[in-house]
Amino acid sequence: MAEASAVPMLEARDVSKSFGGVQACSDVSLTVREGTIHAVIGPNGAGKTTFFNSLSGFYLPERGSVWFAGRDITRAPNWRRIELGMGRTFQTPSIFPELSVRENVALGVRSKRNLAFRIRPASAEPQRKLDARVDELLGFVNLGASAERPVAELSHGAQRLCEIAMSLSTEPRLVLLDEPMAGLAETETDRIMSVIRGLHDSLGLTVLFVEHNMRVVLSLAERITVLDRGRVLAEGSPSEIAANEAVRDAYLGREVLEHV
Amino acid sequence: MTRGRIATIAVVVLLAFEPVLSPFIHVDVTIASAALLFAIAAMSANLLLGYTGLPPFGNAAFFGLGAYGAALSLKYWHVEFATAAVLGTALAVLGALVLGPFLLRRRGIYFGLLSIAFGQVFYFIAYRFTDVTGGEDGMNFSRPFLLVPSLRLRETAFYYLALVVFVAAILAFEAIVRSPFGKTLIAIKQNELRVRYLGLDSNRFVFVAIVISAAFAGLSGALTGMLNNSVGPLMLDWHQSGDFVLSTILGGSGTIWGPLVGSIIFVVGRDIISSYTQEGWQIILGALFVACVIFFPRGILGTALQLFAAKRHG
Ligand SMILES: Nc1ncnc2c1ncn2[C@@H]1O[C@H](COP(=O)(O)OP(=O)(O)OP(=O)(O)O)[C@@H](O)[C@H]1O
Ligand SMILES: [Mg+2]
Repeated sequence: MAEASAVPMLEARDVSKSFGGVQACSDVSLTVREGTIHAVIGPNGAGKTTFFNSLSGFYLPERGSVWFAGRDITRAPNWRRIELGMGRTFQTPSIFPELSVRENVALGVRSKRNLAFRIRPASAEPQRKLDARVDELLGFVNLGASAERPVAELSHGAQRLCEIAMSLSTEPRLVLLDEPMAGLAETETDRIMSVIRGLHDSLGLTVLFVEHNMRVVLSLAERITVLDRGRVLAEGSPSEIAANEAVRDAYLGREVLEHV
Repeated sequence: MTRGRIATIAVVVLLAFEPVLSPFIHVDVTIASAALLFAIAAMSANLLLGYTGLPPFGNAAFFGLGAYGAALSLKYWHVEFATAAVLGTALAVLGALVLGPFLLRRRGIYFGLLSIAFGQVFYFIAYRFTDVTGGEDGMNFSRPFLLVPSLRLRETAFYYLALVVFVAAILAFEAIVRSPFGKTLIAIKQNELRVRYLGLDSNRFVFVAIVISAAFAGLSGALTGMLNNSVGPLMLDWHQSGDFVLSTILGGSGTIWGPLVGSIIFVVGRDIISSYTQEGWQIILGALFVACVIFFPRGILGTALQLFAAKRHG
């Protein structure tokens, strides 16, 4: 892999967002370097999802700016950010429940290849290439066997994997994953963990993820940002975060950190 | 050949026999023509309702623009039938190009309400500008010849013309909803947020869907006007939009042939029942609609197809 460039993959500068009286994010700044796995942690209601939503164009932040690969995207519409090379999943998987797994992923591939607007059906050759690409993505998340089933029929963990494949279908450089393990059994957690590691190791993507499960965070992340009540409480390497008194007091159970 | 193709051909052949069967089944060819044309307008509603997830409560605006566009081009330019149909459809498309930018950001009930409002604007224009549109009485004219003066469209000939146009329309509709574009519309209906997070500006797709929908409605309106040899402001009214939506739901929204099923029941049923009683039709239609919602939640054809699919798999 080429040496990571000096320009950060993603940069948030003093991002603030409130809902009525609730200041969900206040002056949150964060830099994600290219090629890293970066985790955002914090207690329930800390503002992690709100922050992700501000980064991905779900909300327009009230103050601050968001930069993607050196470009100011603060006001870019969400679909434009995907075109530029961002992908994301949601805390509650956002999928097309009645469509097959294949069709869920194919839509993104067509989007990337400028085929989604076509009124005429694709001719044989592009269609074959498209199918091959979908198979490749489904193989990556190990869903090949369920390709023709409606996503609604899949287990929660498999829906998460499908959503990850969808977020990859547009060939992003950076993926944002909001609690990819929430509500999953231990075996499914391991499956998703190895997929996330694969995003980084075999696809060379930059990953920013929110997660509560400390075992997952400490084993995957190179860098951790801790949010608490809408503010950045600490940022550092896993060992720095584990040793940070303020983080321990605010959030982390000591027993988890003994392992580090 | 697929099952779908065989079914399509069977239905078209059956429809082609209507003029022959007419005396036995007591369905006049003119009513049958009206039902086929109505079905094209219901397909227009279906594209938005069944495939994009938007309530098309103002599609009569496009239907009426098609009708008035054809009637005005007959009145001022004395064109022949096909030209009038094309000009009427073009006026409906023009209307959609103007209204589309206002509608494309609205969803759900806001889309529906704004559509009604736009439709009523056209209704009042037609109602008030008596010199041009004939006001409340509308416009009467005699049916133009088709292409050459010797081709006069009497009722049976008109029916076959309507059938040809209908078949072309439904094949086009089928191609559209099965195309990548149509699949994107279906995805918007299911989860628009995800469509945007796959890098697609969903508003652009909604805009094009509105324009295509207007083309179908406009074509239907232009031909319906020339079937009746008259147009009137009620063709633009929101009740008319409601009838298209109702027929679509009755037959099965989100299915290709559902609007035809609903339209035949609606148009033929209204004709038969209103020959016996004046207010009866409204009551029977209401009861039919309630029964449909209870017993056929996906519409008559939609529910039948669902049962059929369940049987084949289970
Ligand atoms: N759409 C909204 N409307 C009003 N308040 C909101 C909205 N979204 C979030 N909030 C509030 O903002 C704060 C931060 O919420 P957010 O969902 O960002 O937290 P989180 O860190 O993702 O929590 P969790 O770990 O439970 O997912 C909370 O107090 C929440 O109630
Ligand atoms: Mg959250």
